[in-house]
Amino acid sequence: MNNPVLLIIIPLLLAFVSVIIKKAGKWILLLGVLINTVLAFFITTGETIIGGFLPPAGINLVVTQFTLVGVILINSLMLLTIIMSIDLVGKYSVILLTALAGINGMLLTGDLFNLFIFMEITVIAAYILSAQAKKYHHTITYLIIGSVGSTFYLLGIILLYHLTGSLNMADVAAKLPLLTTKELLVPILLIFIGIGVEVKLLPVSGWVKGVYAHANRLIAPLFASIIAGTALFVFGKLFVSVLPLSDTLTMLILVMSVMTFVFGEFAAFKQKQVKEILLFSSIGQAGLITALFISGLVYAAVILIISNVVSKLIMFTIAGAFTEKYQTDNYHSLSGVFVHNKITGIAFTIAALSMTGIPLLIGFYAKLNILIGFFHAGNYVLPVIVLLMTIVEGAYIIKLLLALWAPGKEGQVSLESFAVEKKQLLSVKNTAICLIVALVLIVGGTLIDTTSKIVTNGQPLLGDESPYFIISQSKGGE
Amino acid sequence: MIRLASLLLLLIGLYGVLTTKNVIKMIISINIMELGVNIFIISVGFITNGVAPNLTEHIDSSLSNFVDPLPQALVLTSIVIGLGITSLGLAFARKMNKKYGTYDLTMIGGMKDE
Amino acid sequence: MKKVFIGIFIIAFTLMFLIAMSNSISLFTYNESLPETNVSNDYIHKSVTKDSEEIIFNETKDAETGSANIVTSIVVNYRSFDTLGEVTVLFLSAMGVMLLIGSSDLFMKRKKSGFILRTAAKILFPVLLVVGTYIFTHGHLGSGGGFPGGTMIASSFLLLYLADEKFVAKIEQFKTLLGSAGTLYILIGLTGLLVGGYFLQNFLPTGTVGNLLSSGIIPVVYISIGLKVGSEVTLIISSFLKEEVTS
Repeated sequence: MNNPVLLIIIPLLLAFVSVIIKKAGKWILLLGVLINTVLAFFITTGETIIGGFLPPAGINLVVTQFTLVGVILINSLMLLTIIMSIDLVGKYSVILLTALAGINGMLLTGDLFNLFIFMEITVIAAYILSAQAKKYHHTITYLIIGSVGSTFYLLGIILLYHLTGSLNMADVAAKLPLLTTKELLVPILLIFIGIGVEVKLLPVSGWVKGVYAHANRLIAPLFASIIAGTALFVFGKLFVSVLPLSDTLTMLILVMSVMTFVFGEFAAFKQKQVKEILLFSSIGQAGLITALFISGLVYAAVILIISNVVSKLIMFTIAGAFTEKYQTDNYHSLSGVFVHNKITGIAFTIAALSMTGIPLLIGFYAKLNILIGFFHAGNYVLPVIVLLMTIVEGAYIIKLLLALWAPGKEGQVSLESFAVEKKQLLSVKNTAICLIVALVLIVGGTLIDTTSKIVTNGQPLLGDESPYFIISQSKGGE
Repeated sequence: MIRLASLLLLLIGLYGVLTTKNVIKMIISINIMELGVNIFIISVGFITNGVAPNLTEHIDSSLSNFVDPLPQALVLTSIVIGLGITSLGLAFARKMNKKYGTYDLTMIGGMKDE
Repeated sequence: MKKVFIGIFIIAFTLMFLIAMSNSISLFTYNESLPETNVSNDYIHKSVTKDSEEIIFNETKDAETGSANIVTSIVVNYRSFDTLGEVTVLFLSAMGVMLLIGSSDLFMKRKKSGFILRTAAKILFPVLLVVGTYIFTHGHLGSGGGFPGGTMIASSFLLLYLADEKFVAKIEQFKTLLGSAGTLYILIGLTGLLVGGYFLQNFLPTGTVGNLLSSGIIPVVYISIGLKVGSEVTLIISSFLKEEVTS
């Protein structure tokens, strides 16, 4: 029973069932996420045909090592999010189950139009979930940008269908190199814009601030780590292994990604609200990850996605708890909050430090691989940008951590009496989960050889042959 | 010509999305965009002097000038998705009007929440 | 001056977009016939899994899909997974609309419906219901299918709703119908997985092309889609007709 289609079908079936049995919504959701996480560990690489019709005419699901990493990561994170915030699920259990089906479909599908459908499922679920904050104008902004984006994506794949006569990713990828760059310019650009809305790239990421900043402890990690992570994996799949990019297009997309990266980091530096800092940092990281995919550094990108989504899960959960308990997430009014909640604070700190790239954490390993990969490719401009932005990142993270740990103003002796009133941020269960996930960041960053073995399974991801760092050979691949 | 007209429809919709401030008008503009794309998809599969891809007593599969059936199947899907997004958007718009008393997106920016 | 500038910009952008598009697709001329490499050739000749001979209406037996309507065979057989997703999209938006504005039990106040409406609704309701059912059970033979049929069924119920105030209370029961129809679709798919090894595989005999009882699972799937779409559209519209309780 290791058919990957079950990852999509079981949550969907349970969603339909939980409409009939209204009372048990929460438990059905928990059951669905649990089954999915267990199944995710049992699927193997290969191709699954749906309906018994061979592709390109039929639809298939393709599991590569790259997808496998994504499926296991995203499903486990979903399980953790749901366990941590099961008290907030309420009426949203059907929506969450359907969203889970959509996310798995996006990761697994091998068909361009099928990807469009699963993207729509995920995005519509995201619209409904974002309305939970009751800031309907932000939701409408998201809905409008999202619909325009998906219309563009649809137009792009139809042009590809006209040019190649097929919608299957592998088939399209085989036929596209025969076409001229001029013919491919518009469709690829349209697809890029369509995916870019979900990946949060610069010109089309106007919705992010309104939606993320008001999300609660359940919705915020769901958006920032699960849906964003899925979108990045899909971007990697499409732009590394399906669509051939000409030099002009590579340059264009690279410039947009790097602009997003720089903009996100600087915007994060300027913010005062914890969630806004985190959301702009998410935008920045998404820009860096797309830049890595475009440059062909798949392994570094995957490690960075893992590091980023896991840290964001912890940080957004705790930031959601700030708004829940103190009705604010401005870090000036939260000074010294971690003095009362030391273990939560330690988990948050580990996640934040991993994001900046402090050694022994997985974020450092990610940045190391980025630099090695770029230097190996003979690219010396991007490493400089990455290093400069790391300084900016470090600056705002340290500012944030200082404010949250040390009560009192700058230059003042930090006394516990200056701190905000004492409240328990997270329940014991949630604190334990946050701490364990934070420990995973440390373990993953320390036992580098094991991490790389789990992620790559000995094969290059999506044909990426560029070297990465492992301890046993000092520099792998060379 | 149909392709040109449908692309113009798409651009008219895009213009509407970018320039109007009223939420209902924005949703209608998105509908126009989707309509444009749907007509474009149908026109991609068009064959000169083609017949509808439906076998009957007088038409069997040896006939070579069927129009492309796949885009028609895709349009069916895309119409339904458009319906879903429109109904959801209108529900959001109604909630927004209930809360802020306006359909104008730009008016809300400076408003304080209750 | 500003308007002129904006106008010039719009015209320039339009021209640029159209010229760029015309690199990929010819905007004025159409194909004379389907290109050889196009996947649709396989759909038309029903030769995806095996090379089949000419498909003749009312004669060919046991083709890989028995639907005479080629679009239907794509929607419900070859690319059925897309259709499952599409049904899910509509399901999701119906659930979303109900979550947002369908929670109250109060319906908008309206005048008592007149005699003409009440009588006409009673006559039209069964007609619409029968036509809707006809359309979604004949999707594999000609134009039609679960989506238009489902919306027709929804319109028949909404007509009844307009005419009869007491009918309002029954609309909630559509939720159960919606859930069951969706479950039925997936169970059909899972049966295919158990019987043939592929999800959504056709496990019923496909019969003769053109017969009402042919083409395997297509009519069954279309009935479940029809019921699902009908109840979803009914629920969406009845949610919009509800009065909001100010809390």
